[in-house]
Amino acid sequence: MKLFALIAASSLALAAHAQAAQLTGSGDPEVLAEELGDAPVEDASVAEADPWEGFNRKMFAVNDTLDRSLIVPAAKAYRAVTHKKQRKGLRNFIANLRTPVILVNDILQGEFGRAGKTTSRFVINSTVGFGGMGDPAERLGIEQHSEDFGQTLAVWGVSSGPYVVLPFFGPSTVRDGFGAAVDIAADPAIWIRTEPAQYFRYSRTGVGLLSSREPLIEPLADIKADSLDYYASIRSFYLQSRQREILNGRTNFDDLPDIGEFEEFDELE
Amino acid sequence: MPAITRRLAMRLALRLTAASAAIAAFAATPAAADEAAEQYVQSILDEAAPMLQSGDQNAMLDAVAQMVDKYVDMRRIGRFVLGQYARQMTDAQAAEYYPLFERYATQVYQNSLSNYAGEPLAVTGSVDRSERDIIVNSKLVNPEPGSAFANAVIHWRVYHSRDGALSVVDAGADNVWLAIEQRSQFTSIIANNGGGERGIDALIAEIRARVG
Repeated sequence: MKLFALIAASSLALAAHAQAAQLTGSGDPEVLAEELGDAPVEDASVAEADPWEGFNRKMFAVNDTLDRSLIVPAAKAYRAVTHKKQRKGLRNFIANLRTPVILVNDILQGEFGRAGKTTSRFVINSTVGFGGMGDPAERLGIEQHSEDFGQTLAVWGVSSGPYVVLPFFGPSTVRDGFGAAVDIAADPAIWIRTEPAQYFRYSRTGVGLLSSREPLIEPLADIKADSLDYYASIRSFYLQSRQREILNGRTNFDDLPDIGEFEEFDELE
Repeated sequence: MPAITRRLAMRLALRLTAASAAIAAFAATPAAADEAAEQYVQSILDEAAPMLQSGDQNAMLDAVAQMVDKYVDMRRIGRFVLGQYARQMTDAQAAEYYPLFERYATQVYQNSLSNYAGEPLAVTGSVDRSERDIIVNSKLVNPEPGSAFANAVIHWRVYHSRDGALSVVDAGADNVWLAIEQRSQFTSIIANNGGGERGIDALIAEIRARVG
């Protein structure tokens, strides 16, 4: 049983929430270009984003081994014995169970519009949606969104801290790792010490792990196959997507780094 | 679904649609739009759609390579992904690096599109970061209901050179960008191999090993 919980937890690793700011690109491009020209050989921006890279890479390798040897085979087996519609139903069901945590974080962020949507989704999907297996709310135009305490802290102005790869839980930052711990502690099922609660916890974790890993079998394999540095690739995807989650879709393209606006690029024209 | 799951699904969407074609309304209506850039992207998408739907695998891979060669500014991207190390590259290294980078990046597109189903994309709007740097957004025209990609916004970053020519310099899905991800990989490889010229040599060797 221990092992199962462990595997479950590690699945979350890959599927964990997400990010901080790796998009540097601030200030005047020409000034920036000059500074870069004078910069020492050390990659300052990368070092800042990931000061614990040595540790992180080791953790990443451990997680990746677990993933390859246990989780992916289990996810493939899960895919083999279930139908696409059943898997979608389970994903919806697990997402619905998470709704209360999302609601709390919506409110903590002062996002009352989104809190209303979260509540409507929970009510509609838990009833008309057969206890959460279906997603009729989405058909009504109330789309799913995700929140967690790490995002709430970000909204409150807490900066991400260094990127960190957690054992089993995978890519995170100091802030988001702390946020994840708070979200776990806020889950009532963690504190109920009865046998049914324990079964519920284990099943939810196990199914949640497989259910979240299964749709990623091919995309992650593709990313790995195309990457020259899989670790750096995942770090960038995590940090970029996390930033988007925190902004709740309020896109800000100004934060992007410039591509080809330095004077040195003019030779190319 | 956890964010990274969605994000990776989006990347898949991007990979699947990186060279395809055609409607919807981008949620945050852009304050400034650039019609020339929008038309430019739409014409690329329209041109790509039939090629990507043809059943012949090899013909499709060739078509992708041609499209990339025609519209994507590989030299600009190749320089961007080196980050601050671009300035430390010697002429000899540059002569070796750029052709290799182009082959590598083209190969990434080809791999991504090998399972592509040819669903058309339509431009939905654009945002000017500056008059030379335009983000064009697109969405799937007829997404399968409930598909993870149904609401994905596929971005195209268009560079407007001083002489008026347009080119694509990055592609992304829901604010996750490929060239930024590549820069993270490349600068990381350079830094972990001693930085500077030595690190750049190591990067060149890695890419060479990949493209053969």
